[in-house]
Amino acid sequence: MKLAGHLALAVLLAVFLLAPFIVHPGLVFIAGFAMIQIVFALSWNILFSYAGLVSFGHAAFFGIGAYLSAAALRYGWNVSFLLIPPASFALGAFAAFLVAIVVLRRANGIQFSVLTLALSQLVVVLIGYSPYLGHDEGISAIPRPVINLGIATLNLANPLANYYFVIGVGLVTILLIWLVVHGPLGRTMQAVRIDPERAAFVGIDVWRLRVASFTLSGGFAAVGGSLLAPWAQIVHPDYVNWLASAQPIFATLLGGVGHFWGPVVGVLGLAGLNYFTRTFVGISEIVVGASLLVVVLVAPQGILGALRKAARKRKAAAGAHP
Amino acid sequence: MILDAQGIEMSYGALKVLHGVSLQAEEGRTLAIIGPNGAGKTTLFKVLTGERLPSAGTVRFRGEDVTTLPAFRRARLGFGRTFQVARIFSELDLMANVVIPIEARIRAGGGSAGPRWRWTPMPEVRAEAEGILERLGFARSRWEDEAQFLSHGDRKRLEFCVALATRPGILMLDEPTAGMSPSDRREMTRFLARLKTETGITIVMTEHDMDLIFELADTLMVLNYGEVIAAGEPSQVRDDPLVKKVYLGHGAQHA
Ligand SMILES: Nc1ncnc2c1ncn2[C@@H]1O[C@H](COP(=O)(O)OP(=O)(O)OP(=O)(O)O)[C@@H](O)[C@H]1O
Ligand SMILES: [Mg+2]
Repeated sequence: MKLAGHLALAVLLAVFLLAPFIVHPGLVFIAGFAMIQIVFALSWNILFSYAGLVSFGHAAFFGIGAYLSAAALRYGWNVSFLLIPPASFALGAFAAFLVAIVVLRRANGIQFSVLTLALSQLVVVLIGYSPYLGHDEGISAIPRPVINLGIATLNLANPLANYYFVIGVGLVTILLIWLVVHGPLGRTMQAVRIDPERAAFVGIDVWRLRVASFTLSGGFAAVGGSLLAPWAQIVHPDYVNWLASAQPIFATLLGGVGHFWGPVVGVLGLAGLNYFTRTFVGISEIVVGASLLVVVLVAPQGILGALRKAARKRKAAAGAHP
Repeated sequence: MILDAQGIEMSYGALKVLHGVSLQAEEGRTLAIIGPNGAGKTTLFKVLTGERLPSAGTVRFRGEDVTTLPAFRRARLGFGRTFQVARIFSELDLMANVVIPIEARIRAGGGSAGPRWRWTPMPEVRAEAEGILERLGFARSRWEDEAQFLSHGDRKRLEFCVALATRPGILMLDEPTAGMSPSDRREMTRFLARLKTETGITIVMTEHDMDLIFELADTLMVLNYGEVIAAGEPSQVRDDPLVKKVYLGHGAQHA
């Protein structure tokens, strides 16, 4: 099972890295988009599968990165675009920190989730009032930057350079998230998710841990958002609203709750469904919704959960009849 | 006096459960609290460890007033606690269960549990965790097992590891052998006796098992309907007529 998992990951990585050479540009666009969604969904899953918090409004943090990056490119800010993902992290984390210290102080559980949803819809409304952020139409015709790397320049107007930029930043972010949740901090998050009271009795400051988790998660979501502007060349409030906030939730439920790679499987599954149903106008949503329903009913632990269960069963059966 | 509680009162809504309970635990000694079901033993533990605020009374730990201190701060001061029904991090493996409190302790003490990019526990953390697991009789081959598949007795023992990993100054044990098989009970009794003599740790515990109590307790306190009806030398308390009437008479079946 472990070997199969590593193998699947290696194949997936190879597919992402070689996509421009093996599939047509339409699919390459979907691959880049999937990478952005993967970063977003993984950032959400830090909260859900590790810290035990459910955010219904996570697209607000994604949106902070997306609009920061869109404004920087559209209005020609005089900064290297290399600084935009880290700056998005800082701004997203800061916003998440403020939300956490205000909202988590009083509420957790479902109240917390609903408050995050309300705050994110407030962000959508505020964007609607802002001419700088393009009201409801958003910021479009975003130019792709030229990045000066000192020894060379990377012109993102070149489709290959653009693709590898998105994939590269995405992979680095995934690695960082992996390290965070598998280290001491991630262990502490899990302790708090499983039994917050027990965690307190071994000396863990549950409130601080939750604030830290939310802050990090908001930062990583914003990094995902910052990749949207150069990739899609348009950023609008649909990326910030509640439906956008639902995407990482769907991806995690589909892929497997409680697994680090669950959201990745889910995003790819959703992207695949969307791709194969793209020609049936109006039916696409129904198919996606129905598939989700089937997964939740048939395999409530998601795809990875069902695979793990099957592997355990096989192992048990093999143990019984060697 | 390491732990000194005075006049503790506590209610669940309209139900008053503790009526002015006072207790003292001396450094290095074992205080056992007994009493019939529903006497308020667990509730008293909740107040002492910071899970609940008392409506009246004070709790002092090493002279410091900790009455309103939240549980995690008390844990950092040195309160180690186990629960009547063992509470462990059931979805994690045995090793992680013990590593988590060690890392929490190091971080709370201003130390570093290792650089952020390092995901495996630091060697000294792991070594300490291994020592604790071995001490409670968990074989190396089981360290990576998920805690949720443990037997009842093993859950209790693992919870004990979790409590020890915080390096407590005082151990608060709520029925450490509840629901255990007789052999597990004897093993736990032996282990506690050894821990007591080897480390000189202070223990406050509730227990229904009289053999364990008379083997370990230096002081015995009897709680009945939220009031202390007797306290002192275990052998003297045992012969108190009131105690015999409310507890030991039928408690003998427990033992
Ligand atoms: N969370 C609660 N809410 C309301 N009443 C409670 C609660 N917990 C306990 N009680 C009541 O408070 C009283 C004391 O309970 P407590 O658990 O402290 O007793 P105990 O001495 O630990 O008993 P046991 O030997 O069964 O563990 C009982 O009458 C119990 O029903
Ligand atoms: Mg009790």
